[in-house]
Amino acid sequence: MIRTDKLVKIYRTDEVETMALNEVNVEIAEGEFVSVMGPSGCGKSTLLNVLGMIDSPSGGAYYFNGEEVGGLSERKRANVRKHNLGFVFQSFNLIDELTVYENIELPMLYTNVPSAQRKQRVEELLEGMNIMHRRNHFPQQLSGGQQQRVAVARAVVNKPKLILADEPTGNLDSANGDEVMKILADLNAAGTTILMVTHSQYCAEFGNRIIRMLDGQVVTENVVRQYL
Amino acid sequence: MLTNHIKLAFRQLRKNSLYTAVTLIGLTVGIAAALLIFRMVRYELSFNKNFSNYDRIVRVVSEVKTPEAGVEHTVCTPIPAMAAIRQSVAPFEAMSSIREFWGMLALPDPDGGNAPLKKFNNSHDEIAFFAEPEFDRIFGLEWLAGNSATALAEPNSIVLTKRWADKFFPSVQDALGKTLLVDNQVSLVVRGVVADLPTRCDFPLTYLISWATIETYPDLFFYDETWGSCSSNYQVYALLRNAGQAEAANAALARVGETEYKSRTGEKNRTHRIQPLSELHYDERFGHSGKHTTSKTRLGILGGIGILILVMACFNFINLTTAQAALRAKEVGVRKTLGSRRRQLTAQFLTETALVVLAAVASGAALASGCAPLLKFISHVPDTEPFLSVPAVWIFLALTGALVTIFAGLYPALVLAGFKPVTALRGHADGKGSGGAPLRKSLVVLQFAIAQALIIAALITLQQLDFIRSRDLGFSQNLVYTFSIGTDSASLARQSALKQALLQIPTVESVSLSSDQPLSGNTWSSNFRYATRPDDEPYSISLKYCDVDYPRTYALQMLAGKWVAPSDTIRQGVVNETLLRKLGVQNPQEAVGQQIRLGRSTMVEITGVVRDFHTHSLREEHLPLLMTSRKIFFWEIGAKIRPDDIAGTLASIQKAYDSVLPEQVFEGRFLDERIARMYEDDNRLSATCKGFGVLAVLISCLGLFGLAAHAAQQRTKEIGIRKVLGASVTGIVGLLSKDFLKLVLVALLVAVPVAWYFMDKWLQDFAFRIGISWWVFAAAGAAAVLVAFATVGFQGTRAALADPVRSLRSE
Repeated sequence: MIRTDKLVKIYRTDEVETMALNEVNVEIAEGEFVSVMGPSGCGKSTLLNVLGMIDSPSGGAYYFNGEEVGGLSERKRANVRKHNLGFVFQSFNLIDELTVYENIELPMLYTNVPSAQRKQRVEELLEGMNIMHRRNHFPQQLSGGQQQRVAVARAVVNKPKLILADEPTGNLDSANGDEVMKILADLNAAGTTILMVTHSQYCAEFGNRIIRMLDGQVVTENVVRQYL
Repeated sequence: MLTNHIKLAFRQLRKNSLYTAVTLIGLTVGIAAALLIFRMVRYELSFNKNFSNYDRIVRVVSEVKTPEAGVEHTVCTPIPAMAAIRQSVAPFEAMSSIREFWGMLALPDPDGGNAPLKKFNNSHDEIAFFAEPEFDRIFGLEWLAGNSATALAEPNSIVLTKRWADKFFPSVQDALGKTLLVDNQVSLVVRGVVADLPTRCDFPLTYLISWATIETYPDLFFYDETWGSCSSNYQVYALLRNAGQAEAANAALARVGETEYKSRTGEKNRTHRIQPLSELHYDERFGHSGKHTTSKTRLGILGGIGILILVMACFNFINLTTAQAALRAKEVGVRKTLGSRRRQLTAQFLTETALVVLAAVASGAALASGCAPLLKFISHVPDTEPFLSVPAVWIFLALTGALVTIFAGLYPALVLAGFKPVTALRGHADGKGSGGAPLRKSLVVLQFAIAQALIIAALITLQQLDFIRSRDLGFSQNLVYTFSIGTDSASLARQSALKQALLQIPTVESVSLSSDQPLSGNTWSSNFRYATRPDDEPYSISLKYCDVDYPRTYALQMLAGKWVAPSDTIRQGVVNETLLRKLGVQNPQEAVGQQIRLGRSTMVEITGVVRDFHTHSLREEHLPLLMTSRKIFFWEIGAKIRPDDIAGTLASIQKAYDSVLPEQVFEGRFLDERIARMYEDDNRLSATCKGFGVLAVLISCLGLFGLAAHAAQQRTKEIGIRKVLGASVTGIVGLLSKDFLKLVLVALLVAVPVAWYFMDKWLQDFAFRIGISWWVFAAAGAAAVLVAFATVGFQGTRAALADPVRSLRSE
């Protein structure tokens, strides 16, 4: 599903040039649950952003489902994103002015899903995530765990092929963190490919494979367990 | 998607209620101001458009070359030229000579009593015309009674407008065939009644008298059939065969009077041309029979002010939205990550703008409607003019709303929608939030520059008007009560009787009969020759006809000699200093005893010299003047009264008037009121600058208030650290204020040259004017800095007084 060839990302300011990704080669097959680990500043979030097509690479190639997408325009990247990818962030990134229901519904507005289907799908997810009673609440009225469940619901609402999760449990206590990880594991079990950045070895081991990074490069890859 | 946008926009606006209020109030005021200006401009632009032949109707005007004034523009056409025009200007399909007339119309007592049953004067903003039958073909009058083809064909015929028919008769049909008296001497039979002309017409007609009546009584109406005589009351209106024949008509008119209009040098000195009806209301060089002219430049300035005020309100929106861009960055990042396109985000932010603008349009329309009665201080729009019920107003509001949404909303929307998702998700705004700072600063400078320029303009106009009010005019205008008597022989015969009756009133100090008051705006002039000089002077001399009590009533100051002796005809005269200066006579005493020949043969002996006084508004220079006695022109009366029991004195004056002249309509007014009316337009300009200057300051300060609030919020952490390190409240207020105050001072630098240029140009219109003082600019700057400091200082003080621990924690 994902293959990169000497992927490079350089951040430039007036005087400083920082190589966030240094010729990274990564391959992720459909159905995998891959965790990316490494110290702060090693480039794991940058890798996630580039693979999630919310940032563009400075060099190398990025193939998504066999198509080179690194050089696509913002408009085309947005099109690929909304039909194929779902995102979960450490800080949830829910829109404060939208209710739980509206936050989950939002991605379907961008993919022109008819109203009746949107309603049905959101309600399924609200039930599934056990937050139906919070459907009309605003994000500030929810606990961290509930907010992350809403964020996960929003990420999967369009049934994406790939979910990119950036420290999804970073702002949660262990109980809520466990709950979110179980949801992700269940999604993976149902066929969704997951790429997750984490600092936590415990969370990383929910995946099938762990990629370790240092100074913008992949240093090791470990298989956690065999997937079917 | 649209529902989603609207819902979200509402929530966003509610969340940022302070900024929403600031932009909403600013836009409301801006839209209300623009709407009121639209009302004024639309009213002025609608004049005369009610005539079906609007684009084909023209007036014949003249350009006259004079050695002293260059080219003068006049509306008069000499009587013989009218016939020549009729014969030679083929592009005219129809043509009517007219004579303006402000006389009195009376319904005589059928029993032969002296006092008429009813009598009415045209008010100062009404007019009557003597006109030919083709007048109807040109203007397409709506006939309610009478035969349009014949009503104006015979002498002694009158056609009333409906309103004036109603004044005299119970019904329109009753009016036909009845006899009315004009100026108590000419009987007129009512031959028709026409519908009233709309109020937005440059000749608010009361009635039409047949042109043949003038020809029957030439002496009564100064009907002078010489090419050299031209009164601005005598004019020609015509109907072009088609609107494209203007050039052909001008070519034909240029040939009129080729041999007759010759100056002493043999050069043709008068050329006729057409003035389209569409220019009548806007060409101040010619004027017209209506109440006021308004130049298109003035309308342009007014429209410009409206646009500037609206643009300033839009600046507030742009400034506050871009300043807060960083706060929306995360949302933009999330939406983009979820697949939103830039276009969709732009649409979303424009929806927010549109909602604010929609609310502002509604409240602006309500505000403008409430403030509409105030327009009388700055415009001629009558209160009776419909406002919000006019479809054009709604079209204007819709267009304004759409334009403001795009102008104010598009740039911030593009900035916000342009954030890169990856940086936006971190809550950063790609540097565009701060990159907008130079734009915001420029807009604040522009806002305050406009506000300060308007304040400077207001101060200068006020100074000039104060100068006008306080200037010594060279005569006394206080407590002089003025009124007219009829120009007919019967009235003139009773001049002396009236004067004597008025002098019987104990509180009347003196009474003078004259052709006009010292400052009237009227110009009577003649060519003249001084003493034994061989030729006429190359300029004309102004004339005033006055009796012996004129200098006492108006407190004129004699410099040499004495006033003229009582006389019914021109024999002696008093001249002014300007004449002597132009003649090169140094000593006033030298002029006393010299002769002046007026026109071709009238000799006048100079008996005295009077100190210069203003005969026209302060826009005009002193003219060379001769004051002489000629009883048949004594139509105006000035009565100097004592200050005690003014009301009683005025009642006694009217009683005396009514007893001597029962057939006349009495309309008295104090001289200082008459003079003040000459500056009505200047007062309006001043009020416009004042009013819109205050609005401009208000809008600028609203924007500054919002930006200062935003700056204080952004610098919370910095303020906390500074306070922990020992900064005083004053120091922090100064820190937050100084950047804004610098902008206000830069704005002053922009405003000063612009305001100076335009106000100097305005002052050039006045022959007697103030100099522009530096302190006007300093005062405007100081006022702006003070208001800005009060606005910014409030926010600064609030931030400075906040608990530093909380400030630091909040970061």
